[in-house]
Amino acid sequence: MKFGQLLGGVAFAALMASPVTAQTLRYATVSEPPSLDIQMGTATLASTIAQHMFEMLYAFDAAAVPQPFLATGETISEDEKTITIALRDGVVFHDGDAMTAEDVAASLNRWAEFGSRGKLLGLEKAEATGPLEVTLTLTAPNGAWKSMLAYPNGGPVIYPADVATAAGGDTIAPEDYIGTGPYRFGEIRPNRYVELVRFDDYAKIDAPLDGEAGGREALFEKLQFIPVPDVGTRMSGVQAGDYDYAEYISGDLYGTVKDDPGVQVKISAAPIFGLMFMNSDTGPLKDNYVLRQAILASLDMEQALQVSVGEPELFKADGSFFPEGNVWHSTSGTEAYSEGDAEKAKALAAEAGYDGTPIKLLVSTNYKEHFDQATVFTRQLADAGINVQMVVVDWATLLTLRGQPAEWDMFVTHHGAIPDPVLLTVMNDSYPGWWASEEKQALAAKFTGTSDLETRTGAWGELQALIYEQVPVVKVGNVYSFDIASPALSTPWDGAPAFPHFWGASK
Amino acid sequence: MIRQLHALVGPVLARPLTALGAAFLMLIVLGAVFAPLIAPFPPDAIDPVNRLLPPGGAHLMGTDHFGRDTFSRVVYGARLALLIGVGVVAFALASGVPIGVLSALYPRLGRVLMRMVDVLMSFPSLLLALGLIVILGQGVFNAILAIGLIYLTTTARIVYGVALRLRAEPYVEAARSMGAGTWWVVTRHILPNMISPLMVQASFVFAFAQLGAAALDFLGLGAPPDVPSWGNMLAESRIYITRASWLLLWPGLMIVLTAFSLNLVGDWLRDRMDPRFRDMVRK
Amino acid sequence: MLRYVIRRTGAAIMTLIAASIVIFAFIHLIPGDPVYVMLGDGATPDQVAALRARLGLDEPVVLQYLIWAGNALQGDLGHSVFFETPVTQVIADGAETSILLATMTMVWIVGFGIPVGVLAAMRQGRWVDQGLSGLAMLLASVPTFWVGLYLILIFAAGLGWFPSSGYPSIFEEGGLANLRYLVLPSIALAAPNAALILRLTRASMLDVAREDYVRTARAKGISPTRVVVRHILRNALLAVVSAFGFTFAALISEAVVTETVFALPGVGRTVVQSILRRDYPVIQGVILIIVCLYLVINLLVDLSYRMLDPRVELE
Repeated sequence: MKFGQLLGGVAFAALMASPVTAQTLRYATVSEPPSLDIQMGTATLASTIAQHMFEMLYAFDAAAVPQPFLATGETISEDEKTITIALRDGVVFHDGDAMTAEDVAASLNRWAEFGSRGKLLGLEKAEATGPLEVTLTLTAPNGAWKSMLAYPNGGPVIYPADVATAAGGDTIAPEDYIGTGPYRFGEIRPNRYVELVRFDDYAKIDAPLDGEAGGREALFEKLQFIPVPDVGTRMSGVQAGDYDYAEYISGDLYGTVKDDPGVQVKISAAPIFGLMFMNSDTGPLKDNYVLRQAILASLDMEQALQVSVGEPELFKADGSFFPEGNVWHSTSGTEAYSEGDAEKAKALAAEAGYDGTPIKLLVSTNYKEHFDQATVFTRQLADAGINVQMVVVDWATLLTLRGQPAEWDMFVTHHGAIPDPVLLTVMNDSYPGWWASEEKQALAAKFTGTSDLETRTGAWGELQALIYEQVPVVKVGNVYSFDIASPALSTPWDGAPAFPHFWGASK
Repeated sequence: MIRQLHALVGPVLARPLTALGAAFLMLIVLGAVFAPLIAPFPPDAIDPVNRLLPPGGAHLMGTDHFGRDTFSRVVYGARLALLIGVGVVAFALASGVPIGVLSALYPRLGRVLMRMVDVLMSFPSLLLALGLIVILGQGVFNAILAIGLIYLTTTARIVYGVALRLRAEPYVEAARSMGAGTWWVVTRHILPNMISPLMVQASFVFAFAQLGAAALDFLGLGAPPDVPSWGNMLAESRIYITRASWLLLWPGLMIVLTAFSLNLVGDWLRDRMDPRFRDMVRK
Repeated sequence: MLRYVIRRTGAAIMTLIAASIVIFAFIHLIPGDPVYVMLGDGATPDQVAALRARLGLDEPVVLQYLIWAGNALQGDLGHSVFFETPVTQVIADGAETSILLATMTMVWIVGFGIPVGVLAAMRQGRWVDQGLSGLAMLLASVPTFWVGLYLILIFAAGLGWFPSSGYPSIFEEGGLANLRYLVLPSIALAAPNAALILRLTRASMLDVAREDYVRTARAKGISPTRVVVRHILRNALLAVVSAFGFTFAALISEAVVTETVFALPGVGRTVVQSILRRDYPVIQGVILIIVCLYLVINLLVDLSYRMLDPRVELE
């Protein structure tokens, strides 16, 4: 028996030491990925996998500022509607052809017409105006254009012109997954894995890695993405050495893994945050900014996060919409965040003329965090004399109900990390809540009207301050999901990015 | 008076387990009625600093992840258990009895009604309840309706069977041949004879309503999650199973003991009822 | 007999048609829209309208029903809105888990319920019988998910004997050893149903024991054990076995809660998830199949009753 174990151990060690295993990264995913044609879909997992194959004109650096990637630079016309982009020379597709301006123009045009985020840019047309020069014509100035061209999630990755044109509005078939990335497509075996293989002719940028920008390098021979829906299995798989990396380990398992020397914990660098929207269209909260401030003043986010998340390492009561270190981080207005001051709230409510009218808070139980936070808020608001009635429905019903202004006064949802404030749901005038005050529109025009980064970050600071003054939405706080990795894996990043990438990673 | 009381209590005491069950049910009723006096804390008082405390001290049964007192919530949970039980039984009887009796009296109508009952019975009961809740929306009343619908069918079938047999009894036939009206037959002969099978059925329905409601709560489709029901308490504390297993113990025990006591009482009632109908009231 | 078979089958088909209409109508009454669930948080009205059209959700409901029913007759239950694969495929994926779980549960039910029921009947009225009947009643009073949670706590999290959740197919890595994933769930699911079979076995043993031919056998001096085995048990089990069919069908749908507790990829859980996603075709398909299963088993039980026991009166 002992001898058998020993023998097994030796065989296992031999297997582990064999070069094939050592050069394959085995990544346990939550599910089977949808199509990897990521121009067409916004599934996180598809972006995570496909970013190794497909690249973009720009890429975000560590501070989330877009840097030239397949591009080398741009010139912008006076009216901000024409952008001429110079392309990097010597970039090769996986099929051996060199990347030209035609490929870029075709990819951008397909994305603008059919892509899931294609309408956001307002691209009228993209034309090849030279062998390595593309000219974009926008319908209106769009300050966030560079971020759009750098965001892989449903974004304009570059395909060969014939692939992009042939596919049109249909998703690209796996055999046509041809990009310029450090890994090329290997094979998809349903329910087993998606395999990417190192691309030997990759045209690396000669610069150090900086976030997603800079020189990417494939150090693994193969990347395998293996669907393992059960979180317990993902965790024990990494502990047993079956996987090198496992995504989305649930918060209640944090206690079990944080002190385990057999795993590395990779807390997300891209926090998700809870949001509670207020109805700006109908009902008692419409235009009553003082009452909204009363609601905000009564809330203690620390309590809500403690109850809904538990582990102190996995949440942070932070009023800024972007985390520290991010170019969009700002503290404007955040002094009103998480005051938890029932007396101040009572005074404000009295000033607002609040008469005890019940305020309908729409929340779903499908996300435990939503419900926990709403429960704590209801209690805190009651302590401040504000009468909240929880309306508990399932998520699908909530999505329908919140489209009907008369059905709710507040609703709870959450928001993923995004590269540019323009993608915040509250910035969208037609998103439920329908916040479209004159002040907002004036600031938003200033914000989107230029691509000058400094002007834009300044305008965003003012917008955030306005959010804390008019309170169209209340930010609950940052919640950090976490992944785990085998101790041997070294990655070029500390906290897991929204889409973990493995160029520059090795073991 | 005392002898009457003795006649009623005596047989219960002869079955000690049943007596215990009956006593437990009394306790539940008292707890439900006097919940605000018994519970040391309001059931929804949040105290995040003292979350997930083990039993002991000020918190007899510990606290949940909001820091709410488990004992107080268990006491208030008795209210919901009673409400659901009474509601489901009332619904099942109020709908099942007329359907069963009418079907027995008017065979042509009966064929249609009983066919409809068959259609309902061909649905998997839990899925039927789930579907109804999703359509009607979540709520205590809707949970009662959804569970009640399941027992409408069984109640209607039992009543139908009993009524058919009663209708064929010589004295009922005689009454009819002497020109007694349908109403008279129903109120004088059928309904009074049906009381004991209905009581047995009611106690079993009451017991299973507890389990059904708990299952719905657990799936997140029963009583709204802010209501302190035993099922909701289990559903909420599920993820703390390894860290705070006592959170699962108390509400679960309450459900088991309530259902068990009701089953004991139901069994006892059945043993005392008319043997002609005993076979019909099977669970 | 043939006339009876035809009439019974006809009635079952009528029930099925009625049930299919009820299913379809019910499901379209559910508030919430699959399109919103699929498109996520920031969907624009244009995207919503386009997707509705693509999924055929903009047709009149009656037309949608006729299309669905027509296709269902040809074995096509439509495509899942969420997975974008045929519903039959989605059901087939869950069927392995559900059938194996139900089968394993039946093994516990039969292995526990029948012997214990026989024992109780043989000791009728004595303390063994009372104790066992009390136990049966207790088992019938326990919520399956609660038992499941404690089984996880003790045998998975505590002792580590069995996995706590999930079920990889036996056709995948691990083979038949993957059945260990179903041990705890099947025990949880078996508890209340074993109680039912126990009581049924006991009751029908006692019924048969009162029959004339048993008394005759006893009077002839045949040994009591022989009487129990040859005469009572064989006949009593007829009634019990006929209950197996219903129990099996019921287990497939009752497993919803157990599958949720143990995160099993079964049919019941598929329905619950599909309800939350408003995946109409999958909900309709699964419920239709389960209703079919009920009706077929019902029919078979009725017919076999008639064949095995000529005393059963025909309506």
